[in-house]
Amino acid sequence: MPMYKVKPVSPGDIKIDLPTCMYKLPNVHAQRMNCGEHALQNGEVDPALKALEERQDEVLRRLYELKATVDGLAKTVTTPDADLDASTLSRGPAEAVFRGTADLDSLLGKDLGALRDIVINANPGHPPLSLLVLHALLCQRYQVLSSVHVHSSVSVVPPPLLSCLGPRHIDSYVRQRFQLGFTLIWKDVSELQMKFNTQSMCPIEGEANVARFLFRLLSAEPQDPVTVTQMDSWIDTAVFQLAEGGSKEQAVTLRSLNSALGRSPWLLGQEFSLADIVCACCVLRAGLNTSAAANVQRWLESCQNLGHFDCVYPLLQ
Amino acid sequence: MTKENVQGAGEDEQQAQSKKALKKQQKEAEKAAKKAEKQAKLAAEQQEADEDDFAKDRYGISPMVQSQQKLDRALVRVQDLTPEKAEQQIWVRARIHTSRAKGKQCFLVLRHQQFTVQALLAVGDRASKQMVKFAANLTKESIIDVEAVVKKVEQKIESCSQQDVELHVERIFVISQSEARLPLQLEDAVRPEGEGDEEGRATVNQDTRLDNRVIDLRTTTSQAIFRLQSGVCQLFRDTLINKGFVEIQTPKIISAASEGGANVFTVSYFKTSAYLAQSPQLYKQMCICADFDKVFCVGPVFRAEDSNTHRHLTEFVGLDIEMAFNYHYHEVIDSITDTMVQIFKGLRDRFQTEIQTVNKQYPSEPFKFLEPTLRLEYKEAVAMLKAAGVEMGDEEDLSTPNEKLLGRLVKEKYDTDFYVLDKYPLAVRPFYTMPDPNNTKYSNSYDMFMRGEEILSGAQRVHDAQLLTERAMHHGIDLEKIKAYIDSFRYGAPPHAGGGIGLERVTMLYLGLHNVRQTSMFPRDPKRLTP
Repeated sequence: MPMYKVKPVSPGDIKIDLPTCMYKLPNVHAQRMNCGEHALQNGEVDPALKALEERQDEVLRRLYELKATVDGLAKTVTTPDADLDASTLSRGPAEAVFRGTADLDSLLGKDLGALRDIVINANPGHPPLSLLVLHALLCQRYQVLSSVHVHSSVSVVPPPLLSCLGPRHIDSYVRQRFQLGFTLIWKDVSELQMKFNTQSMCPIEGEANVARFLFRLLSAEPQDPVTVTQMDSWIDTAVFQLAEGGSKEQAVTLRSLNSALGRSPWLLGQEFSLADIVCACCVLRAGLNTSAAANVQRWLESCQNLGHFDCVYPLLQ
Repeated sequence: MTKENVQGAGEDEQQAQSKKALKKQQKEAEKAAKKAEKQAKLAAEQQEADEDDFAKDRYGISPMVQSQQKLDRALVRVQDLTPEKAEQQIWVRARIHTSRAKGKQCFLVLRHQQFTVQALLAVGDRASKQMVKFAANLTKESIIDVEAVVKKVEQKIESCSQQDVELHVERIFVISQSEARLPLQLEDAVRPEGEGDEEGRATVNQDTRLDNRVIDLRTTTSQAIFRLQSGVCQLFRDTLINKGFVEIQTPKIISAASEGGANVFTVSYFKTSAYLAQSPQLYKQMCICADFDKVFCVGPVFRAEDSNTHRHLTEFVGLDIEMAFNYHYHEVIDSITDTMVQIFKGLRDRFQTEIQTVNKQYPSEPFKFLEPTLRLEYKEAVAMLKAAGVEMGDEEDLSTPNEKLLGRLVKEKYDTDFYVLDKYPLAVRPFYTMPDPNNTKYSNSYDMFMRGEEILSGAQRVHDAQLLTERAMHHGIDLEKIKAYIDSFRYGAPPHAGGGIGLERVTMLYLGLHNVRQTSMFPRDPKRLTP
């Protein structure tokens, strides 16, 4: 213990500016300088210049933002409206009926605790492109657990087909958290086949029929029977004449597509529908997109701009 | 009687006697003459035979092979007899499958493992009548050495495996003769059940087969089954070694029952008694705590269950896996299912001949699976069963008929014979199963099924000594008996999970057979202890 204690006179943390320069001499070389240039010579930046630079950066940034906005607007303007929400459907003599979001229970039957798993068996030689597009649409609307399997009847499947449903969902190990299951099995089958509820439903065969089933889950079906018939007609044309027909039939179909698309942005008029999905996929798979007429090209570009077809293009190589 | 009568009678008798004696003598003379004639004839024939047997040194019974000499002779295997060897003179060692004599010819079918070939011996300048007779009288299953010329045939021999060639025999020697009366006929043992009933021919029932296993194992079907089983074991080892697993050997004589006290064999161990291991569970886990990370072991498992069913044995070969994981036990499930899929793929690609051979006698659907393996949750399975009309509680264990029905439902929807059922209820699992963190009624445990029957039961293990003690007490287990087990987790244990399959059961279900004794070489069950 110290004997005497004296209170400190001055606080201990005073900052003392120690000079770094011993002697200062005026600059011999220059005659008459103003502060700005003087500052420049020494490497310091003029504050005015700094402000100017900042304003330039700001302007450039706003310019890029504007460019992006204009690009987006351009896409929206050239791409016809493709909103599949049922509340905006208002075609035909019947009044627009607001149906609201689809109730999976009413469409598929009561949930008993098992994940409602849609199982699709497809041949890796004929990947069902329209079903992949519909899968992307389903994922936007519901929580879908997607998985891809390879059946033992097939020995080798090219890697793009294994990742065609996109990356695995982070929560995919907890099946209970999902509303719908989408299981794609690459198998040696002659005809595409879908199984859902084996107790009460027989399997559905054929890509077009499965596409119709999945489209109903989106509850975006047109209301009036004329439109529905037209949609079915386009789907059948695509499947039988574009996909399976000879070059003559394909040419005829492409011509009728071109003339229909000259009248309206989408095949059924103002609304994007299943007809567009199936026809576009058949055109793409047959490799006719490069040689198609102007309207068809524009329409294919619009489809691509929607974003749903992103999963299809990697499989076309 | 008067003396004269007696005398007269005596004279009569004498006369009669001499007559009888004469007759007797005559008969004996005749007999002797006949005998002499016969002998003379035989001698004459023998002389003839000996004279005509120019082929005497080209057939016979060899002295027992006691390694008397080293013969520089290459023996060709039956499976290598193809048209490429036409006109070559080669030696073959095989068993006599069948032999049939027809006048001056003898047809033999020679067999080695799954392969058969037809051999022909005809009387001619190379073979004598005696040689053909000798060949025709050889007993089935005898092992013989044959020197023959390979000949191409125009018409395919449908009944043999080597259909394009035939052997023309030059020399034939018996190496090991079989007894004439066989306990079972190989043709009967290979006959499919239905065919036997229809044509009124015999099939062999299982007990007879198992009692005479040495002969039963010679059939083409048995050879195929056990070669496939060897393939399963090899694929299991290869796949796991490639994944970085270490093979370990665990002790089978242990001090305390691992699964439960009821189904364990006791052995006398010097002055005390010990038990035969019901599973390598405890030792696998100890290896994980000893930082081996990924281990597997192949070894016998002893279960003293008094069940006489088609799928239970008291001793079987267990293939067990245990693995430490990083954050979620699904990493282990993925590893195990990938191993199983590699085994199935390997069998599908490399053992088709064996699968087809077994299918001839036991027809079944080929085994189907998905990659990656389908994984369903227990709740989903219960919902599927309820939708199919079964009444069961949410936390009830699946009974065997329910398991089979579930297997059929899954097969119908997904077309797979192999799938995993995850998140079983906690109440029906052993005490060392880790409970589900989100729902205490369920556990982190799983079962795998093949063709609707369970082949693997596994779970994430409790790796915390405290929790393990609590769970053991909850199940009413004596803590003293498992003290060593709980102690192994007190000094830092990684989270781990695993499971084990039975080799015989997997082979049986892969081939679609109906009884596990068909896939166990010398099966053990409550009623059978030999061979």
